[in-house]
Amino acid sequence: MEFSELIRTGRAQAQLLRGPEAPPLRGTLCVTGHHLLLSPGPQSTPDLWLLLLRSVDSIEKRVAGDSGTITLRCKDLRVLQLEIEGVEATLDIARSIEALSSLESVITSFPFFYRPKGLRLGDSWHFLPPERYYKRVARETDAWRLSEVNEDFGLCPSYPRAVIVPRAVDDDVLARSARFRQGGRFPVLSYSHAPSGTVLLRSSQPLTGPQKRRCAEDEELLRAVLAGARPGARGFILDTRSAQAAKQARMTGGGTEAKAAYPGWKRLHRPLERGRPLQESFVRLVEACGDPEQSMDRWLSRLEGCRWLAHVKEALSTACLAAQAMEREGACILVHGAEGTDSTLLVTSLAQLILDPMSRTIAGFQELIEREWIQAGHPFQLRCAHSAFSQARPKHEAPTFLLFLDCVWQLGRQFPLSLEFGEGLLLALFEHAYASPFGTFLCNSEKERCLCEVRTRTHSLWSGLNQPKEQRKLRNPLYVLNPLAIWPSVEPQSLRLWQGLFLRWTHPPEPAEVAWEKVWQIVTGREETEGSQPTASA
Amino acid sequence: MEFAELIKTPRVDNVVLHRPFYPAVEGTLCLTGHHLILSSRQDNTEELWLLHSNIDAIDKTSEWRLSYVNKEFAVCPSYPPIVIVPKSIDDEALRKVAMFRHGGRFPVLSYYHKKNGMVIMRSGQPLTGTNGRRCKEDEKLINATLRAGKRGYIIDTRSLNVAQQARAKGGGFEQEAHYPQWRRIHKSIERYHILQESLIKLVEACNEQAHNMDRWLSKLEASNWLTHIKEILTTACLAAQCIDREGASILIHGTEGIDSTLQVTSLAQIILEPRSRTIRGFEALIEREWLQAGHPFQQRCAQSAYCNSKQKWEAPVFLLFLDCVWQILRQFPCSFEFNERFLTMLFEHAYASQFGTFLGNNESERCKLKLQQKTMSLWSWVNRPSELSKLTNPLFEANNLVIWPSVAPQSLQLWEGIFLRWNRTSKYLDEAYEEMVNIIEYNKELQAKVNILRRQLAELETEDGMQESP
Repeated sequence: MEFSELIRTGRAQAQLLRGPEAPPLRGTLCVTGHHLLLSPGPQSTPDLWLLLLRSVDSIEKRVAGDSGTITLRCKDLRVLQLEIEGVEATLDIARSIEALSSLESVITSFPFFYRPKGLRLGDSWHFLPPERYYKRVARETDAWRLSEVNEDFGLCPSYPRAVIVPRAVDDDVLARSARFRQGGRFPVLSYSHAPSGTVLLRSSQPLTGPQKRRCAEDEELLRAVLAGARPGARGFILDTRSAQAAKQARMTGGGTEAKAAYPGWKRLHRPLERGRPLQESFVRLVEACGDPEQSMDRWLSRLEGCRWLAHVKEALSTACLAAQAMEREGACILVHGAEGTDSTLLVTSLAQLILDPMSRTIAGFQELIEREWIQAGHPFQLRCAHSAFSQARPKHEAPTFLLFLDCVWQLGRQFPLSLEFGEGLLLALFEHAYASPFGTFLCNSEKERCLCEVRTRTHSLWSGLNQPKEQRKLRNPLYVLNPLAIWPSVEPQSLRLWQGLFLRWTHPPEPAEVAWEKVWQIVTGREETEGSQPTASA
Repeated sequence: MEFAELIKTPRVDNVVLHRPFYPAVEGTLCLTGHHLILSSRQDNTEELWLLHSNIDAIDKTSEWRLSYVNKEFAVCPSYPPIVIVPKSIDDEALRKVAMFRHGGRFPVLSYYHKKNGMVIMRSGQPLTGTNGRRCKEDEKLINATLRAGKRGYIIDTRSLNVAQQARAKGGGFEQEAHYPQWRRIHKSIERYHILQESLIKLVEACNEQAHNMDRWLSKLEASNWLTHIKEILTTACLAAQCIDREGASILIHGTEGIDSTLQVTSLAQIILEPRSRTIRGFEALIEREWLQAGHPFQQRCAQSAYCNSKQKWEAPVFLLFLDCVWQILRQFPCSFEFNERFLTMLFEHAYASQFGTFLGNNESERCKLKLQQKTMSLWSWVNRPSELSKLTNPLFEANNLVIWPSVAPQSLQLWEGIFLRWNRTSKYLDEAYEEMVNIIEYNKELQAKVNILRRQLAELETEDGMQESP
């Protein structure tokens, strides 16, 4: 398939309306294989306007007289309008955009062609989070080892090559345990909390089935975890499904860990929403945000009805529970849902932000996302195929990663000095997860990324974000290293709608940006003044 | 025209100034082109500039004048002794107009928009009653504010229904037949016990250990507090739009003209005039549009949200105003010289204070109570540098703009700083604030040091230079 086959009209005259954010642009519109380009006329700014076609969520066209309007609703919630001269041009361009924005093939997507100046291929792919994280763990305790049993992704197609497991357990045990867990996701180390000598693990549901099967190796694995932790440590299995859902799962081959089989481990249920209901919640919230004319009552009603904030509360509460059990009760935690690729990762990554000051630095946070989301096998390609505006039939989409970012934002709001990064980084991650010129969020697992050669043929988002000129927008100027755990309040009154994301395009961002810039000026002004003090001369 | 031509006597000694809330001051009075300056002989008072901030406006236009008709508070018990009225209306006419308006509150100048000369006036409702009474002096008064051939707007803060029903009790609204140049707009704003109930419900919801997001949002919606905020801000924006965009003068009134009227006039000034967003300007706004304008603080702030005894006249009208200011401040974080703490402080002192500023219901009562001799003023404490530094906004950048707040429901938020203040420690937010203030202070110190060192360097260089020349 050639891109050119999908492009019917190369170019047309058009005007782009960008809402309250910027004045309209007039010029020549072109459709290429990956982008929509607007080349401005002689009287406008010299910059070329680009839109990655992949970021288009839905497209609407209208024709009247001899011109047409195309409304593009993007995955990052921006809405753009193009007024195009010529009815046929309008229809052709609309069709081309529709076809090109929904291509499913990974290896022909833009990251494989993106070659910006100043970045070298292969930069920033070198840090392999499980290996690096293992070095950190090994410094604190020798109860764990790095296993490469999944070297060829044969044991678990959604895990990375290397995983951290108890030293006392050998690879055969892991192999058996993998066969007892959905998708082969046997329990692995997510986080080791040195101050209390306890650990956080994650997995998927055990395949007990209606016959209540057991697996000696899986039990051995979890016994070894407790043995290697602080003496006398208890264990909690945090199941992100309701007790009923977990019981029902047995009918289809899944289930829960039997109490008798796992002495020392107690099971807790904290249901977290996932899948279709979560996507619907997102869609309804975005709808409500898009209507400025509604009455206050209707707005609050819709806000309540979409339940997005309720999901934020549940996620943060569960993460707090896990963190509390580790830090205050000296217990080890195993988190799993059904597949172990969605709400499980939400809980483990948030718990680490609460407990571990390293994950609150920019570098640490990037590593956390690589390790606990990307390499841990969260199916980004499936989950972020469509955003809130899409009219396509929903399949596997769900905004779990966005929910994580929202929870991080809540943390940053309650602890404004404790995160090294600001809202800008979270917004960037949201955008790039759905559509990006970088390869970081492509595919659904490490296995797929190796097959597509993502690491050698695309650029990493981190190398893009870590350039000095981007740092100002992403860093928090008020950051001070906070070595303690940060305990967020999960009272409903303490949680807020993330305006900066959900109301980003409907309200002019100018005053907030001006304020951020001003804070930066004040802070860097101080640094410059310190630096420019002339030293006493002889 | 030279200012000097207009100033007959530039300077007078041994003048004694009496003001509400301050002890009498003796000093020398000077008149300049734009200000009255009183320079005090006594050590502990500072120089006083600009006794009445609207004098500036009058000086320039000569369409307005100061009237002392109310100096004994006989004409209107809730107005201050000095009011600003159109020049062409004499005091006799004012007395007649006062009898035609609720509580004697005849239309007076609230704000003069320098850009185009349009004005905001406020008053009480006209006492048309069921007979359709009219008062020619009243019509003449407000028509005097219109330029030739232009229309004005009357913003009535009651719904049309309520305004019509008011006639049965002797009140009413301005009829088109008698006021042909004025277009009437009804923008209903809630008042009295409904507001107090709204506050009580909101505070209950905030204190509830709900543990349930749906319940919280439900109760927040049921309290209707944010709906009231939206109503008030929308009306204020409308008023400001009439002035700035339509270029028309407006008259605002409700029933008595002491509650929602003042909310609208003061918020409209925050939108239109950058000076009201400075600390001194805002203090002057509160003095003028709330204290002197006769908002019955004693009655409205007798009880707050927790009180169990029967409520009579209480209503959180001033708190709603402060909340609206906070909403605008949040949307325009660089446009206000003061920060949230300033607003919180005003809220506290309106209800209970060791200062006399918010005591009494109007100027007349304050004079009778001799508050200026017997009590200290809140402003004298707040304006000390050590206090002011805590209440200043480090991000403030003076601008000359009119700022238009968004009144979409998504843009309005619950004022955490008041309603969720005691729910959880704001320790971290305070820390962030402290950090910012420290950074700015340190910045200033370093800058000062740099300047000193630079000067020293320059001196050393010139010395060297002098030594070198033969």
